Amino acid sequence: MTRFRTRIAKAVTISAAAVSLACVFVIEIIEHSLGSYGGWLSLVRESLVVAAFLFFYLFIESLWKREQSPAKKLGFALVLSLVVVVGAGLLTLVPASGFDVKNLVLDPLGYDVIVWANVYSIVIGTMSIIVLMLIRDIIFSKRRKGTRRNFLVFVVVASVQALYMLTLRPLESTLVNTVLLVVTVLAIVMNSFRLSWIVYLSKREKLFSIVYGFLLLAIFIGFDILTFGSMAIGKSIAYYSPVLKNFITSVNLFATVYFGMTFVGTLFHLPTAEAFDRKSSEVSSLHNLSRLVTQVFDFNELVDSVTTMTLEVCEAKSSWLEIMKVSSSPSNARRLLGGVRPVEEEIETVSRKNISIEDTFAILGADGASIRKLALESRKSVVIDEARYDKRTQHLKDLKNKFESMVIVPLVTHEKVIGILYATKDMPYGFDRDDVEVISAFADQATIAIENSRLIEKSLERERLMREMVLAQDMQRRLLPQQIPSLKEVDLEALSTPAFEVGGDYYDFAMLDDHHLGVLVGDVSGKGVSAAFYMAEMKGIFQSLGRIYRSPKEFLSQAHAALATTIDKRSFISLLYCVLDLRTGMMTIARAGHCPLLHVSNRKGVYRQPTGLGLGMGSVEFFQRTIAQEQFQLAPGDIVVLYTDGLTEAHPGDGDEFGYERLRKVVEKTGERSALDVRDAIIAGVDAHMHHESPEDDLTIVVLKWRNVQEVEHPPHPGERK
Amino acid sequence: MTKFKIDTRETNNINVLDLKGYLDAHTAPELEKALQALIDRKQYKIIVNCKELTYISSAGLGVFMAYIEDVRKNSGDIKLSNMSSKVYNIFDLLGFPLLYDISKDEVEAIGKFTVSRK
Repeated sequence: MTRFRTRIAKAVTISAAAVSLACVFVIEIIEHSLGSYGGWLSLVRESLVVAAFLFFYLFIESLWKREQSPAKKLGFALVLSLVVVVGAGLLTLVPASGFDVKNLVLDPLGYDVIVWANVYSIVIGTMSIIVLMLIRDIIFSKRRKGTRRNFLVFVVVASVQALYMLTLRPLESTLVNTVLLVVTVLAIVMNSFRLSWIVYLSKREKLFSIVYGFLLLAIFIGFDILTFGSMAIGKSIAYYSPVLKNFITSVNLFATVYFGMTFVGTLFHLPTAEAFDRKSSEVSSLHNLSRLVTQVFDFNELVDSVTTMTLEVCEAKSSWLEIMKVSSSPSNARRLLGGVRPVEEEIETVSRKNISIEDTFAILGADGASIRKLALESRKSVVIDEARYDKRTQHLKDLKNKFESMVIVPLVTHEKVIGILYATKDMPYGFDRDDVEVISAFADQATIAIENSRLIEKSLERERLMREMVLAQDMQRRLLPQQIPSLKEVDLEALSTPAFEVGGDYYDFAMLDDHHLGVLVGDVSGKGVSAAFYMAEMKGIFQSLGRIYRSPKEFLSQAHAALATTIDKRSFISLLYCVLDLRTGMMTIARAGHCPLLHVSNRKGVYRQPTGLGLGMGSVEFFQRTIAQEQFQLAPGDIVVLYTDGLTEAHPGDGDEFGYERLRKVVEKTGERSALDVRDAIIAGVDAHMHHESPEDDLTIVVLKWRNVQEVEHPPHPGERK
Repeated sequence: MTKFKIDTRETNNINVLDLKGYLDAHTAPELEKALQALIDRKQYKIIVNCKELTYISSAGLGVFMAYIEDVRKNSGDIKLSNMSSKVYNIFDLLGFPLLYDISKDEVEAIGKFTVSRK
């Protein structure tokens, strides 16, 4: 809708201007044929000219682009004025009838003159409007208080000066006229010192501006001459419209003075152009980097920006950045230090600009004489002004043409060098004090950014591990039995305390058939996800093979065979497996590297520890050959305790472990009580031993109490009968 | 927590690792590095002296398991010696005496190496 409206507006303005100009032309023909000038017809004609150019202005304004730089606007002004001045200059060579001057009034001697006058006036008038708009934009590009007001003052004064001509004959001049002209010149001078935009041009733009300014000055001096009253063009325009003539003269004068000032002003700014350029690029680079400090999610991008900006801030030829590798453990660092190439192994070139990796190595030197050492040792920036004659780089004989001066800046944080930034130039004394200061300030920023980037990386890694841990914990929790089987022949209780992280403790129950209960307690070596994984595998093996291989020895052998192919060679699972015949109370156990079973009968405890390797240790054949099985009869009231080493190894700070003796005594003391009581007594015992600290390792207890069959109130179920 | 320390020494072409302190999941990588370093140098006759070893966790035991195959393949061995009874119990529980040569002292272990060489 608005687009449509602006289109309409454009069409209306341009047609209004065209209609007005056409009317002007018709009136001129009438005037000429009548041979009379002045009076109301002249007034109408002048009004139409003013209106036409106002419409022109509105039309041009609607097409106007403001967003160009001052230098570009100057270029545009130059092209436009050059075309017009050359065109107009050539047109004057065409023979024309000229004017008869009578009584300060211009009378054309032929119709051709009228046509030419129209052409000159419209073209030069339009050009003046455009040039004035360009000057306006240039002045406004660095606007200050009063900039706009001063410019408007000029426009108003110039307009008044021009409109005053309505009361005079075309070539008439009065005192008022002269005064107004003086005021116009004052307004021009007032506006011509608005040159602060020059300062912000780049050096290249300044060079262009000088040329543009000079040419524009020359062109507008030419215009001033061409439009002078006594010249053909001047006469033509004065005949066409004295108002327009005066306005054009004012604008041309303004343009002449302003472009002259531009030329001179830029000329004076040229010596400082380079310094200004550098300062502004320093400011923008530092600004960019300080923004980078917050955008540190991509390390490679970050270090790349650091070298790019180093090139920018000091106009270096090449730049590269080395970062100290973060060693994963102190022992690793020690090993590296003891290695053959102590320093090289720990430093990595992370970003290079305009230099090959071979050259960086060559410049630095592979050995201890490396100039990198200078910065590493002093922790301050090192400047080499003349590589050719500098003692520190003289050994680099074949590299003299690669660089002539160089800066080495260490990135230091918390008294530690985390990286080194290099910049080289191929001229001697390439880095002055300012350069070094800027690079140093810049290196400080880079240090912070790199540190932040690393911290973020670390915390992301930690977060990932935490998520993994939570997942593993959840998995482990679900692998443990959700319910303890409730049987009348045995009283069962179990507890597995969640470890600080993810532990490897595992226990499980299964009814192998109607009369056989399998109880399994184990400990997977290692922690975290791998432990949870092996545990899941173990559960699968138990749930499937447990029912097939009834004898514990057989089962463990099969489990070992199943695991041997998948388990990591430094991992193993310790297991204790018992199978209880619910009809007879006969218990069969086999042990695969696990803690011994505690059997308390009649308040006397014994540890049962048949031979057996941990699951995953040794060959299948060897495992099978070495594992032993033990069988014993439970008497009513007997208690069997299975556990993991987290229980016996629980120790407070001083290192005294809970141990087998304490465990045995606690269970012996509980005597006739229930499995739950026994379990709680053990926990209370450990807790007291630990002085109520929580144990480091995870801890699992399974308590099994053989019920005195006579105590069972319910009649035995059919399956129990023989 | 007691720190863990390893010293390596060589007698009669046999490398002896002296373990001191607490060997658990955190310190196991150090033992691993020490063993790897020996294997990298093609030193396959290794005695691990556990005289000052106060504790070993499953992660520590796993380190021995990780290297024994390699070492034996190259007709060497990892022999363990000078264990305190507490540490021996941990090894014993898992069945280590079945798989590894555990000697009372270093001299006995060295002796076994020389015998097996002949």
